Amino acid sequence: MSPLDFSNRPKIAILGAGLVGRLLALSLKEDAVIELFDQDDGSGQQSAAYLAAAMLAPLSESADATKEVMHLGEWALTRWPSLLEPLDVPVFFQQTGSLVVAFEQDLGNLEQFTQRLKGDAFEAVAKAQIHALEPELNPRLKRGVYLPQEGQLDNRELLTSLGQTLKNAEQVTWHTNALITRSGEAILHNGQALDISVFDWVIDCRGFGQKTEQNQQNSSDTSTLPKLRGVRGEVLRLRAPEVQLNRPVRLMHPRYPIYITPKESGIFVVGATQIETEDDREPTVRSALELLSACFSVHSGFAEAEILEIASGIRPAYLDNEPKIVVQDKFINVNGLFRHGFLLAPAMIDACLGLMKVNAEHSEQDQTRLNKVLSIMPSLIQTASELKVGGE
Amino acid sequence: MSNKKCDDPVTIYGTQLQSRLLIGSALYPSPQIMKNAIQASGAQVVTLSLSRQNPQANGGQDFWQLIQSLGLHLLPNTAGCHTVNEAVNMAKMSRELFQTDWIKLELVGDDYNLQPDPIALVKATEILIKDGFKVLPYCTDDLVIARHLVDLGCEVLMPWGSPIGTGKGLLNPYALQSIRDRFPEITLIVDSGVGKPSHATQALEMGIDAILLNTAVAHANNPVLMAQAFAKGIEAGRDAYLAGLMTERSTASPSTPTIDSPFWHQHS
Repeated sequence: MSPLDFSNRPKIAILGAGLVGRLLALSLKEDAVIELFDQDDGSGQQSAAYLAAAMLAPLSESADATKEVMHLGEWALTRWPSLLEPLDVPVFFQQTGSLVVAFEQDLGNLEQFTQRLKGDAFEAVAKAQIHALEPELNPRLKRGVYLPQEGQLDNRELLTSLGQTLKNAEQVTWHTNALITRSGEAILHNGQALDISVFDWVIDCRGFGQKTEQNQQNSSDTSTLPKLRGVRGEVLRLRAPEVQLNRPVRLMHPRYPIYITPKESGIFVVGATQIETEDDREPTVRSALELLSACFSVHSGFAEAEILEIASGIRPAYLDNEPKIVVQDKFINVNGLFRHGFLLAPAMIDACLGLMKVNAEHSEQDQTRLNKVLSIMPSLIQTASELKVGGE
Repeated sequence: MSNKKCDDPVTIYGTQLQSRLLIGSALYPSPQIMKNAIQASGAQVVTLSLSRQNPQANGGQDFWQLIQSLGLHLLPNTAGCHTVNEAVNMAKMSRELFQTDWIKLELVGDDYNLQPDPIALVKATEILIKDGFKVLPYCTDDLVIARHLVDLGCEVLMPWGSPIGTGKGLLNPYALQSIRDRFPEITLIVDSGVGKPSHATQALEMGIDAILLNTAVAHANNPVLMAQAFAKGIEAGRDAYLAGLMTERSTASPSTPTIDSPFWHQHS
C-alpha cells in the first residue's frame, strides 16, 4: 500500500480531542483514517487534561479509589513509555516514586491514609529518609510514606506534543471549533447532521462536554449512556526555579491531600481541590490560600515563586467514580475518568483498540491487552442493551 | 418486644424518628458508596452542606438530587461559616433550596479543629429562631451555652464528643452527663468526634438521644459495613439505657458461689 493511499483503511471518527481522543488518534493513525472533532481551537485548553497535574499514582489514589482503579492504573503505568515513544516531540515522564508527608498535627490523617492503601508497595519514612529523598523539604515534616513505584508526566507537554504529531499526520483530519452534539443516533457537527455512514467506528470521548446534552435531555428521551456528574477541581501552576523537588510530594491536610508535582524547568503543578459541584467559576480565595500555603509550608522557596496560573475545571465522573466504556454497534463511548485521566488513559486506549481490532496484523496483541484490562476491571465495558436492562 | 423500637422514637422538633443515627454526606470515596452506606446505616436524617458548591448557581445540583433521592429527612448545615451573617444567609439559602426549616447551625470558631464559636452560635440561633427556623446547634459541651440555646427555644442540642473528624470519642463524659441531667426534655445528639461504634454505645448508654456521624463511616475501609456496625452500636447503647445499667462496684463480686474454692475463702 502506498503511503498516500488510505482508501482501504477503516474510517474512524473521534469526538473530543482531549487526552483520550488524542491518544486514540495517535494509536490508530497507522491503521486507520481519522477525523478528530473538538470544540476548542486545537490547544486542548477546554479539556480536563489541560489542568490535571498528571500524577501516575495508583497506590496513593487507592486510599479513596477502588482496588480495580488501582490495578488498572498500575497496568496503565507500564503502558505509558510505549505510548509516548512515537511522539515527534519528547515528553517529560518520570517514575521516581512519590512522597506523602504530614505535619505533626496531621499525623492521624497520615496514619489513616496509610491504613487505607490497597497495596503494599510503600514504606513509612522518618526524618532522615525524607531528607535523603527530598533534601529541601521543611525539616518539620518528620513522618511520611514513600511509594517508590509511582510516577508522573507533564500534561501540557503531552497535549502539545500529541497535537503536533497528529497535525503532521496526513491520515488525521482535525476539525477545530467543531461543536459536537448527539441526539440519539444523530450526531450534529456545529448544528449540521454529520454523515456517520462513512465511518466504521465512532468514538465519543468528549468528557464533561457530554454533560450539556445530558442536561438538556428530558427524562422520557433517556440516553442509554449512564449519567455523568461534574466534580470541580482547582489547580495552581507555579514557576519556582529555587525549589528542587525530585518527585511529586503530597501533603496531608485535614480535609484533602494536596500534591505538589515538579515538572521540568522549575514548573510546579499544585492541586487539587475536589468539590462536589459543577460550578465553573474562577478559583476561590479559599482554595487559592489552601494550595499556596501548602506549597509554602512544604518549602519556603515557594515564597518567591511566580504564580503562572490558577484555574478551575470540571472532571467528568460517574456515581461510582469509575470509568466506563459503552459499546453500541459502531459507537464507543469512553467517559468518567474522574480525577484519574492520566492514571487510566492508556488502559482506555487498550480497551478501545481491543474492541475495534482495526489491524489484523496485531489483532492478537490488541485482544490480549483488552483481556488484561477486563481481567482487572470486568465492569469497564458495557453494551448499551445491558445498561437498558440495568435501568441506569 | 418486637415492636420495642417503634415505641421508642427520638423526636426532632415534633418529628418522630425510629433511627437514632443521623448521617453526613461528605468525604465518601464515591457518591455510590455514600448512597450504599447511608442506606445500610438505617439513618432517617442526612446532613448536607452547601458550602463551596456555589449554591447561587445551583452548582451542586446533581449531588443534591442524589441525596434527595434517598427519601430521607434533609438536615442542611452551615459548615464553613465563620460569622453570624454568613451562617444566617446560608441557612436561608438552604431553606429555599431544600424546602426544610431544619438547620444544623455550625459556626467555626477555630479553623484548625473547627471548634464551634459559642458566642456567634447563640447570636445566630436567636436570629434564625425568630425567622421560623428549627435550629439544631452544633455546640461544645458547655452547660451554660447549652442553657442559653435552650432559653432561645432550641428543642435539640448537638454537643460535641470531641472535635470534628478526630474520632476521639467522648472526651468529657461528665460535661455531657450534666447537660443530659439538666435538660431532660431536650433532644441531645452527640455531633462530632465519634470514632468507633463503642463511643456511640457509650453515649447512648448515658441517655444521649442520638448520634450524628460522618468521618468514622465515610473514611472506613468499608463504609457500608461500618455504617451497619454503628447502627448496631447505637441500638445496643439505647437498649442498655432503657434496660437500666447495673451500678459499678469497686470489687469483684461473683454472681454465683464459686464451687471450686473452699467456703472460707468466699467470705474472707
